[in-house]
Amino acid sequence: MSENVMTLQVITPAGMIYDHHANYITARTTNGEIGILPNMISTIAGLEIDELKVRRPDDETHVDYIAVNGGIIEIKDSLVTIVADSAERNRDIDVSRAERAKIRAEKALEVAKAEKKSDEINRAEVALHRALNRLNVSSHR
Amino acid sequence: MGASLNEIKTKIASTKKTSQITGAMQMVSAAKLQKAESHAKAFQIYAEKVRKITTDLVSSDKEPAKNPMMIKREVKKTGYLVITSDRGLVGGYNSNILKSVMNTIRKRHANESEYTILALGGTGADFFKARNVKVSYVLRGLSDQPTFEEVRAIVTEAVTEYQAEEFDELYVCYNHHVNSLVSDARMEKMLPISFEESGQQKPSLETFELEPDRETILNQLLPQYAESMIYGSIVDAKTAEHAAGMTAMRTATDNAHSVINDLTIQYNRARQASITQEITEIVAGASAL
Repeated sequence: MSENVMTLQVITPAGMIYDHHANYITARTTNGEIGILPNMISTIAGLEIDELKVRRPDDETHVDYIAVNGGIIEIKDSLVTIVADSAERNRDIDVSRAERAKIRAEKALEVAKAEKKSDEINRAEVALHRALNRLNVSSHR
Repeated sequence: MGASLNEIKTKIASTKKTSQITGAMQMVSAAKLQKAESHAKAFQIYAEKVRKITTDLVSSDKEPAKNPMMIKREVKKTGYLVITSDRGLVGGYNSNILKSVMNTIRKRHANESEYTILALGGTGADFFKARNVKVSYVLRGLSDQPTFEEVRAIVTEAVTEYQAEEFDELYVCYNHHVNSLVSDARMEKMLPISFEESGQQKPSLETFELEPDRETILNQLLPQYAESMIYGSIVDAKTAEHAAGMTAMRTATDNAHSVINDLTIQYNRARQASITQEITEIVAGASAL
């Protein structure tokens, strides 16, 4: 059993968000979705703004979800490290704050589209994407 | 004699009030210092991991680096990012860092076109402006526990200016926090990114699967790395600032206490002298009768 476990660490500038064992992790890299099993070949990849699904070894049905805002994933010796600007576990997400962020991003997107500023549109789209991602992850409770 | 008695009394009262204020400021700084220290500790983990991934990625690289952030260019112009505080009352904190920056600049550069300054904090910006040094970017009003978002503006500015070849190397000058009494002025080279210390120790034999490819990951990772390094020094500088503020205020409070002691002794002496004089006068008056 012990060989079939890996450690996942999610680290942001605000400190370590998540540090637990896992059996199986799914993440979305810039190239598409990957599944990570213990003893996988060493890999470094860029991540999309998406959710991270972590299957825990203690119980088949025990699954954690983490919202990740981009960042880099490194897999080495069954230690999975994710370094991101920000990340939140589903139970830590403040839903009303995420809702507000979504509304704010939608408004900013409208304004940016009306003014046809491509930089602003991109920024607003990323913000909206982050808010939607957080809402999506927080729905797994 | 009476006037001087009153004078001393008001002096004592005003010094007492000052000491109360400095005492309160000391406690505020102490609380902020504690917060900043725990913040810096949390960030340390992040910086370490970003560093590790970057070294993992770069040390498995066989070819010389092609990324613009790692290539050493011929140095025509140097950028200095100087981190100071916005407000005073922090003892020698600002003069310490500014003096070391001025010394270095004088030693290294013959004329003004060889360097540019990015100032973080009002004191530094005003200092360089008063000396007619060109400051290309100013950021004021940073909060006491700066978030990554707040600092991103100046960090991104520094990285873009470097990429646009506005300058060919970047030094970050700040006070490193050692403990609450000691901090030392540091000047660290941030750009171009080099891994000489860690990269040459053990060339890693491990190879990594890279997705999608090295260039794309480096393009994402290196700015993140540079940002984290610069942000780390800002957090460090803020911690040192709170420590300096706390020490300065503690010294001020201690000084106020010793001034109050001296004044109280003076006051009592003057009071005694006036009483003695009064008695002498009464006795003299009585014996004259």
